[in-house]
Amino acid sequence: MKRTLLAALVLMALAGAVKAEERIVVYNWSEYIPEGVLEEFTQETGIKVEYSTYENNEVMYSKLKLQKGKGYDIVVPSTYLVSLMREEGLLHEIDHSKLSNIGNLAPDLMDKPYDPGNRYSIPYLWGSTGIGVNASEIDPATITKWADLWDPKWEGKLLLTDDVREVFHMALKKNGFSTNTTDPDEIRIAYEELRKLMPNVLVFNADAPREPFLAGDVNLGMIWSGEVIMAQEENPDIRYIYPAEGAGFWVDSFAIPAGATNVDNAHRFIDYMLRPDIAARAVEELGYSTPNAPAKELLSDEIRNNPVIFPSTESIQAGEFQQDLGDAMEIYNGYWERLKTGS
Amino acid sequence: MQFRRFSIVLTLFWLGLFVLVPHLLVVLTSIMTPDSEHLAVWPVSGESWYRLREHLYLQVFWQSLWLSGITTLICLLVGYPFAYIIAKLPRFWRGVLLFLMIVPFWTNSLIRTYAIKLILGNKGLVNSLLVGLGIVDEPVQLLYTEFAVIFGLVYVLLPFMVLPLVSGFDKLDETLLEAARDLGAGFWQRFRLVILPLTMPGVIAGSLIVFLPAMGMFYVADLLGGAKNLLLGNIIKNQFLVVRNWPFGAAFSVALILIMALLMWLYFIANRRINRQGGLQDESL
Amino acid sequence: MKAFRWGFVTLVFLYLYLPIALLVINSFNVSKYGHEWRGFSLKWYEKLAGNEALMQAFANSLVIATLAATAATVIGTLMALAIYRYRFPLRKTASGLLFVVMLSPDIVLAITFLVIFIALGIQLGFWSLLIAHITFCLPFVVVTVYAQLNGFDRNLLEAAQDLGASESRIFLLIILPLIMPAVIASWLLSFTLSLDDVIISSFVTGPGFEILPIRVFSMVKVGVSPEVNVLATLLLVISLTLVTLSILLLKRKKPQ
Repeated sequence: MKRTLLAALVLMALAGAVKAEERIVVYNWSEYIPEGVLEEFTQETGIKVEYSTYENNEVMYSKLKLQKGKGYDIVVPSTYLVSLMREEGLLHEIDHSKLSNIGNLAPDLMDKPYDPGNRYSIPYLWGSTGIGVNASEIDPATITKWADLWDPKWEGKLLLTDDVREVFHMALKKNGFSTNTTDPDEIRIAYEELRKLMPNVLVFNADAPREPFLAGDVNLGMIWSGEVIMAQEENPDIRYIYPAEGAGFWVDSFAIPAGATNVDNAHRFIDYMLRPDIAARAVEELGYSTPNAPAKELLSDEIRNNPVIFPSTESIQAGEFQQDLGDAMEIYNGYWERLKTGS
Repeated sequence: MQFRRFSIVLTLFWLGLFVLVPHLLVVLTSIMTPDSEHLAVWPVSGESWYRLREHLYLQVFWQSLWLSGITTLICLLVGYPFAYIIAKLPRFWRGVLLFLMIVPFWTNSLIRTYAIKLILGNKGLVNSLLVGLGIVDEPVQLLYTEFAVIFGLVYVLLPFMVLPLVSGFDKLDETLLEAARDLGAGFWQRFRLVILPLTMPGVIAGSLIVFLPAMGMFYVADLLGGAKNLLLGNIIKNQFLVVRNWPFGAAFSVALILIMALLMWLYFIANRRINRQGGLQDESL
Repeated sequence: MKAFRWGFVTLVFLYLYLPIALLVINSFNVSKYGHEWRGFSLKWYEKLAGNEALMQAFANSLVIATLAATAATVIGTLMALAIYRYRFPLRKTASGLLFVVMLSPDIVLAITFLVIFIALGIQLGFWSLLIAHITFCLPFVVVTVYAQLNGFDRNLLEAAQDLGASESRIFLLIILPLIMPAVIASWLLSFTLSLDDVIISSFVTGPGFEILPIRVFSMVKVGVSPEVNVLATLLLVISLTLVTLSILLLKRKKPQ
């Protein structure tokens, strides 16, 4: 037994020695990079990619905090986390001069309040959270607003994404409040509304909300725009609806954690992802929208004119982008726990 | 002497550093004050422990207890006759069947849980059969229900119930049964007065080995139950990774361990009372 | 009565094996979603072989499982021996601690590990994972080996001591060969536990060292990856082989 242990240790040491090549550690949402891109990146640059995934902004943030920003070279936070992480010093400044393709990004998503000058984040994909419906079971014309989900006839039939902000967004918008409110009364009213909705909920899903639709377990519920596009490959009857009260919009950006060890490689990775052809593939495969202008040109008319991927200005006006809520999150989280326990 | 000292030191060192100290740290964390920046800071505060009394958390606890209890009961009802049948088989077949029973256990429990979705879904095996045979018109909602969760928990934990039970039946002295039969005892009498008491240690051990893990398996509930209900594990995970209230998460964890310890203590007492001839003798268990 | 018994047993086995059977069948299913059979194909096997990240995670898991199982078996055997054979202060505490590890739910253990690694400043990654895996396997090793030690003939050991043999010689030449079945069983058990662990691993692993259960967890929650089916089939074949091998090995060790 001693000998095998020794042999294992020697093997490990050897393996460790071999690994002194260029690498980059990427921490991203699950299913958020087009197929083959990582391999192609490695082939072209010689940088080996170590890839892990998360399904939830909070988990990524917690892990990063625990390790004091060390260990990962690229993370992909949503808007409100960018501002939070920026303020806490968890992010590394991005050197725009190293990004040859940065000019590709359309200005309307750049230089936003959550990251002035985009010094800490580079937008990757953006999308919305709206209503998904299986047209072969339910007539999409009958569903037009969030309020429709509250109809008692949907008892035990809905799917909601497992995200406290998004679920509250529904109830807040339904009552005409802002999705970024920190007013305890407004939040409480939203909570009361959601309590009435709970009997209608069949399942919470944050990993792949399209899956229960495709499995035939659910025909109506909240879903992300890209999920619908991906679902339509298998079942074209799955449709996306922008609710009248306003969908939730979000942007996911590349960011470099403060303790990253391969900062140069991280820049090269971001630059690679900013290429029009790569960005276009992301749109085609993942169904979300890109801020990359030349990429948009590369897409087919069908995709460019698809309102699910590229929403109309009206939809964007009606909707709202998520922002950081600071300490108010405690209120939301408290209600969330109560909702999930059914008290 | 070297060897002896080495093994003792190793034992104490490893257990001390990686078990005792961490648990003490968690207890320590539970009396600290939550802080969004540093996760837990001094001064000492009892607020986390106080929060445990909230109705919400008692309800979560009850829910977990309920699920685990039902799972244990079903495992018992299915596992007991099953173990009995297997124990009575000739040695070779017994080995084969036990082997077959353990093999699924070697496949990743997550994957097996995911496979259950294929069976219970609206387009899954069961519903396809029911609809196909005309027993029902519409698929029955099996997935994302409490039924699915219990189905999944029993699925993963049944072997844990059967193994101790088989061991218990194995130790059952056939001559006692024969004597009872000779004295005129009917089937139920034999069961109640001979079989049941003598297999009780196995029953208790099996129940414990099922109940305790069941309390912690929140991912089965998440995958099969639709993530609608928070169980103890969800709360702890939530507090540590999402809400980042470490003192409260720690308090919750410690409370959980204490409750488990209480149950184990009850097991000991029960075992000691039954420990006539057929009790489990392992003194470290 | 007989028929009823066999019927019942068959039913239970059906319950246990149906999901697995479905997985295996679906690994050859052309359809991506596994809800309908659309034809035989080996393409998912090819896809799996080509999925470098998954293969890497699989390799990592095997490395950790092997190292953890080996270390846990070595350390655990010595622990079982110490507790069984030697009187030392805190002996009962040691048993108690092992007990605590065994009965703590995974998530609580995960938290304790997280806390100690932060306190010690150990960076989350390979070593934190290894230490955690070894620790949670230890109680199972100790219980298994201890049970076999319990049935020991103390006279043998006393005789050897009287003859002047040192502790290590007694261990290596007398005890170890006789407890070998338990040691091997412990190794196999630890290997399985390590491969299967999700919760603890997801808390204490670090960037760049992905192991299989975590990968599988992400894939399983996404729900649609047929590569999972292939993986399940492969794991099943591997474990079947391992268990069969171990049983054959044990059978050969029996005649003493």
